[in-house]
Amino acid sequence: MEDTRTSLKEARDVAREEAAEYLSSLLNKNLRVTTTDSRMFWGAFKCTDPESNLVLQHTYEYRHPSMQKQAEGSAAAAAASAGATLTSTPGSAVANQTFKMDMTSRYLGLVVVPGEHIVKIELEEFVSQMKKGPQYRSPTEL
Amino acid sequence: MISSEGIIATDITRKFAAAAATLAPGELVKDGHFTLFESVGALEIMDPKMDSGCLAPGESLDEEYDVARPLLPSEVLGIIDQLLCLEMAWHLGYPLSQTLLTNVYIEAILMPAPATIDEADFIRNRKDGAPRDPMFAVLRAYCLGLLKSCWYVCDRIKFEHYYEEEDFVTNTYHRSLLDNIDRDLIRDELMTARSILHNIRRTISEEMAQALSFRLELRTAFLRAIELSDLRSNPESLSLPWSQMKAVWEPISKSHRLGTPVPEAFSTKIQRKLASTMPPRPIVHLSFEETYEHFRKLFADGIDVLKVLNYSDSQSLLNFVLTFQAQKPQPLVYIRTLLQTFLFKDMIILGHLSIRHVIDDDLAIVVLPCSRLLDPSNDDIEAPYDPRFAMAHQMELFRQRAAQSYLDIFRALCQNRCRVRRTLYHAIQDWETVQMDAMAIDRLLQVQLEENPIVYKPSFFVIEEDAPDPAYCLPLSSWALLYKLRLMEWIVQLGFELETYQPDELAGMYWYLGHLAKTRGQLVERIKAFTLHRRANHRPPLTQTMEAQYDRSLAFLRAMMLDSVATWEFARVLSCIYTVLLRLKLIVPPPRPYSTDALRYEIRMKPFLSITMPELPTFEEFTHGTTQPECSIAALLESASGAIGSARKSFDVLGKLSEQDAFTVDTHERWLRGTKNCFKSIIAASIAISTLSDATKGGVEGEEGLGLGLEVVVPKPEKGYHEWWIVPKITRKR
Repeated sequence: MEDTRTSLKEARDVAREEAAEYLSSLLNKNLRVTTTDSRMFWGAFKCTDPESNLVLQHTYEYRHPSMQKQAEGSAAAAAASAGATLTSTPGSAVANQTFKMDMTSRYLGLVVVPGEHIVKIELEEFVSQMKKGPQYRSPTEL
Repeated sequence: MISSEGIIATDITRKFAAAAATLAPGELVKDGHFTLFESVGALEIMDPKMDSGCLAPGESLDEEYDVARPLLPSEVLGIIDQLLCLEMAWHLGYPLSQTLLTNVYIEAILMPAPATIDEADFIRNRKDGAPRDPMFAVLRAYCLGLLKSCWYVCDRIKFEHYYEEEDFVTNTYHRSLLDNIDRDLIRDELMTARSILHNIRRTISEEMAQALSFRLELRTAFLRAIELSDLRSNPESLSLPWSQMKAVWEPISKSHRLGTPVPEAFSTKIQRKLASTMPPRPIVHLSFEETYEHFRKLFADGIDVLKVLNYSDSQSLLNFVLTFQAQKPQPLVYIRTLLQTFLFKDMIILGHLSIRHVIDDDLAIVVLPCSRLLDPSNDDIEAPYDPRFAMAHQMELFRQRAAQSYLDIFRALCQNRCRVRRTLYHAIQDWETVQMDAMAIDRLLQVQLEENPIVYKPSFFVIEEDAPDPAYCLPLSSWALLYKLRLMEWIVQLGFELETYQPDELAGMYWYLGHLAKTRGQLVERIKAFTLHRRANHRPPLTQTMEAQYDRSLAFLRAMMLDSVATWEFARVLSCIYTVLLRLKLIVPPPRPYSTDALRYEIRMKPFLSITMPELPTFEEFTHGTTQPECSIAALLESASGAIGSARKSFDVLGKLSEQDAFTVDTHERWLRGTKNCFKSIIAASIAISTLSDATKGGVEGEEGLGLGLEVVVPKPEKGYHEWWIVPKITRKR
């Protein structure tokens, strides 16, 4: 009984250490953090705490075009494809045509993103530098 | 879906949250170089107070305002007048994000950035060839003219010396203010819009067409004024567009009532599209009346500042900058940077003078009229044993040493008033070393000039009774010392202007000002003695031009002497008055439990502590000089009324000097106004003295002034006649 408790505690300590190590490995890497209002913040990861509050440096804010602007863009794309048949994929219906729009962005500098407003965190890595070896896996994934 | 080449983004949301959750409460994972102190400045996302991009529930990011909706003429006028108010707010120091960049039309013109003049429109998808709606054409042309002139203003200010936090915000939040669109094209648009107005004047009423047309004219003239200011010559022609603006400004303000405000065309929502590390801030609202006043002043100053280009002599130039900057309210930062451009651009003074020309002119006026040292032909001497060769060489060394410090005086005076004072602190240290170096050069030159020392005995300001030793002229170091003394006096006087001193400190600070002014008077007297000596012993006899040069120098020394005597005497008067008020306990020092008079003196005089000439008086000398313990109240008042007579006479004579003799060419009127105000302050001070004499006649020696039934108010600097002379208002209590 005593043994299991110690080993559980040890296991927890190990997990905690690994977690801290993992978080430290992310420091100064570029993260894309999406918030509940579907904005995305892109900046260098500087600091976090148990609530996943994130400090990002040199941050840019990216915002999806508003619904209205998207509708306009879609209409414009549709009009363009109707005119120039060369670019439209044969057989694709105009209605579900995909089109590209630039997200609007602006520079914000140093920001804190509170954990409660975060819906998604993405890590950016260069393809050339991605590690192949074993990576940290969170306890929930185990 | 966001994509970019060669970079892969992995979703680590769950992994991250799980890892973070294992941290103990309060535990942080952070970059070693990142301090929590820095994080205080971070913007908190989703906090509506901090995050300008945070949307309220159900709020749309886009402006709901439709820029394509038809506009009435009165609405266009209303929008333009609101833009005028915001433009002025920007000039006064508010950022664009809270002023012009809150307007939806401007935003629509600037975003996305227009590449051509045709794209520079708030309605982008106009059919080719379709004419613009007349009202849109007017508003668009106005906005283009406005934005282009803002670009020029911003560019000018950025190029010169100014203080971002105190004077002006040059940030454009990554918006380009039409810098790639040619000025002439914009001018054409303004012209076109005016002819459109002319054509529709019957439909929209003559009065309305005229009112809008004046506003477009204002923009054209502003652009023209900016364009011409690069020329830096011929002030009369440069002032034309400024006069034009001044002329249309009256009808513009009179027709303001024709406008209908369109507040919905302005929104802080636009801030969330700006590149900004600032939390959201409200739109700055300046009333049209305030805007009117500021623009009126801007145009008047715009005309005035051009007069600096009429160079007459170096001292008039200095007086121009001094009096121009002493105006209340101070000219706007744009005008102040314009003045700097005129003065210094490309190191060519006022567009046509070399620095050497101005410095030599100044040396000739102050210390070296008709001197061989300033003879330009010395430069042509190639024989190294010729004394003129050495003179040319040493003088060039001196100019190189002093030029920067000399120009820095002008530069310093162009800053905001608080900065002037702070900058002068550093300048006097600099002049201290200039004086030392000048002394060394003086010693070398007196050998080359084979100068004989003369016995010089101060007559007016007697310092010591012993027969003095023969002395050399030391012109260059005298010149440097004179500037240093003037700067020191300005520091103290700006202290009065900026309310740096407490009422109970005024007695001491006026005493110190008097001390400095007296020292300056002694120096001027010394310079004068040597100048007269040189004139009397000049071989060969003086030509007429040389006589004129000597006369000019002596006129300057006379004006300088009058000024120093007036300052010395008047400062002495005020010191006596404040000492009496302290003795009568009509001015009571606030309780200062952690400070002593000696410590405060040390702090107060810190900028002067390192100056060796004139040496800072010791605390004992200072206290003794200020409190004058050996004098009774009656004696103090008597000596004050004696001094006031001579101060009055000096200001009076000074005020009667011609602009040539006062060295105030092209600034005489403004200078005279200042001198008259000093004179009025003296009258006020003599009233204060007589009130005090009457009340103390019975002999209340040394005791409470409360019983005298007097009331004392130390007025704010701007409430008196002159900011540099704080005269207490003493009245009998009813």
